Amino acid sequence: MNILIVEDEKSLATEMAEFLKSENFLCDLAYTGREASEKIAINLYDFVLLDLGLPDYNGLDLIKEARMHNSEASFIIITARGSVEEKVIGLDLGADDYLAKPFALIELLSRINAVARRKFNVSNPDIIIDNFTIQIQSRKILFLGKEVDITKKEYDLIQYLVINQGKVLTRHQLYEHIWGNILDDQYDSNFIDVHIKNLRKKLNAYAPTPWLETVRGVGYRISTGH
Amino acid sequence: MKLKLKLSLFNLLSKLVFAALFLLLLPYIIERINLRQVDNDLIQKREQVISLIGNIGIEPFIASDSSDAFGSYNILKDEFISLEKTDTDEEMNYIEVTPRFIEGEEIYYRVLNYSIKVDDHTYHLEVGKSLSSIQNTARNIRNVMLILLLFIILITFLTDIEYTHITLKPLDKITRKLKEISDPALFDMLPLRTTTSDFQRLDQTLRSLMTHINVLFQKEKEITINISHELMTPVSVLRSKLENILLREDLNPEIAAKIEESLKTLHHLRSLVNSLLLIARIESHQYLREDSFSINEVLMEITKEIRPIAEDAGVSLKQSLADDYHLGKANRSLIFSMFFNIVNNAVKNTSAGGEIIVNSIDQQNRFTVNISDTGKGLTDNQKATIFSRFKMRDQTSGDGTGIGLAIAKTIADFHNIEIAVSSEAGKGTTFIFHFPRNS
Repeated sequence: MNILIVEDEKSLATEMAEFLKSENFLCDLAYTGREASEKIAINLYDFVLLDLGLPDYNGLDLIKEARMHNSEASFIIITARGSVEEKVIGLDLGADDYLAKPFALIELLSRINAVARRKFNVSNPDIIIDNFTIQIQSRKILFLGKEVDITKKEYDLIQYLVINQGKVLTRHQLYEHIWGNILDDQYDSNFIDVHIKNLRKKLNAYAPTPWLETVRGVGYRISTGH
Repeated sequence: MKLKLKLSLFNLLSKLVFAALFLLLLPYIIERINLRQVDNDLIQKREQVISLIGNIGIEPFIASDSSDAFGSYNILKDEFISLEKTDTDEEMNYIEVTPRFIEGEEIYYRVLNYSIKVDDHTYHLEVGKSLSSIQNTARNIRNVMLILLLFIILITFLTDIEYTHITLKPLDKITRKLKEISDPALFDMLPLRTTTSDFQRLDQTLRSLMTHINVLFQKEKEITINISHELMTPVSVLRSKLENILLREDLNPEIAAKIEESLKTLHHLRSLVNSLLLIARIESHQYLREDSFSINEVLMEITKEIRPIAEDAGVSLKQSLADDYHLGKANRSLIFSMFFNIVNNAVKNTSAGGEIIVNSIDQQNRFTVNISDTGKGLTDNQKATIFSRFKMRDQTSGDGTGIGLAIAKTIADFHNIEIAVSSEAGKGTTFIFHFPRNS
């Protein structure tokens, strides 16, 4: 998939590109609004990651232009200004999602994937690890066809880990994904540890879960190869 | 005491004093007027008698009586004339009040004494008029005056009250305008309609002050918001760089842990900036208030979220939701995070075996939410500064940034919810939320 990253902060744009390339996306960069406008007019992109705080351009105008060119690109707005109005305006203009800085790269990835699945109408495949089946569509986890009774939050947690299988997710990334920024000032909260502990207890009642790894000092990971 | 009542009472009092003084002096005045009238009458009668004697001589008076004296009362005995021969040569011409006994009754008369010389004889003329009728008249006048005065005072008191009420209305309006707003930005800038120049001046002064304050506040908020935004981009760059490093397969675990430490510090930095931003945004009304929801539902959702954490910490989290309240024109996610922060803080500050109770109840017609814990409690000093920004509750505990409670307070203020804390060091803390009365 082709992605255009429109971001005036070059080092951020490069980091995003590096990450997305490692996830097998094709990335193009535009550091100014003018540059972005030209690229959108010429090329076909699946996604435009749009920073609204461009010095030379009102980012929202790029969405209008793209719509005029009949571009099929999905827009994900990235902004340092997380104000409600801006979010509403952006979504009204046809942006597909909205991320506030500083965002997690894997969160960006999961938003891109979610938009892509909606766009191409791809249903989520079930993910199987050992004898556990994570049914993303129905938001359930089954052990040999039998539903495991876990809470909504525990499900959100395992799903996010499973989708990002093989990557270490920090407590904060997990927290941010599930709770947003309710507990913004509780940055050292142990919510995730408690939920992982409870989740392991519930899953271990069916079978051991060595695949749900604790990465010391970093976070949690679903290991591959199982 | 209210100004209009004070003014009306002062008016009433001064009127009463004047009325009392008037009534006190009234008998004396009436008496003086009456006596003068009576005296004039008596002198007139005397002249009539003298001219009568001049015309017909003294004989018809004295001769008809052998005792050298003449006396005559009218039928009602309120007037009399007497003429008597005296031996003294002393001249008399005076008026006095003397009692007379008539048929066993003592009656006071105003008596004119006069000496007349006729044919070398001196006669003593007395013309008298009873005073009882005069006294009756005085009493009647006083009674009528008393009733009339009281009536007038009552009427003027009532009109005074009404008049001051109408005149002072603009003052009430100004007070109400100031009382109703929690933020200078909400001050109603429409000029006050009044003909009283003092109020016009007061209103104008207030308005220009509010405009000035608003400009300053707005500037301060804008600065906070702009700085916060400027900070977010570099934080975002750092975060992406660190996260990319963390994703490397060949990463040494020790370095990974260090990177994670750095990310944590970065989150702390971000949360500080976000907290400031949140407060500035709430205070500059950038949050919509369009939700309407049940408070108990929010509380239940929160206890459900936090229960696993409490259980893990060995703290029992109970809820007793007796009454419910429907909050309208509110921002649900702000209210949620307000309660969430308070309950979560309570869990943090309570050691194993402790208890947290979330309760909602109608107290004295006012919906109240109490969140109490059996934690370490607060000192008086901590209580005083608990809702201030960046005054950490406990410097040693290092929990959070100490701004959570300031945020809670800002959210409460935004929704006109009164927030209070009661605590005893060592015994526990209760956060109390009084919701606005349903009108």
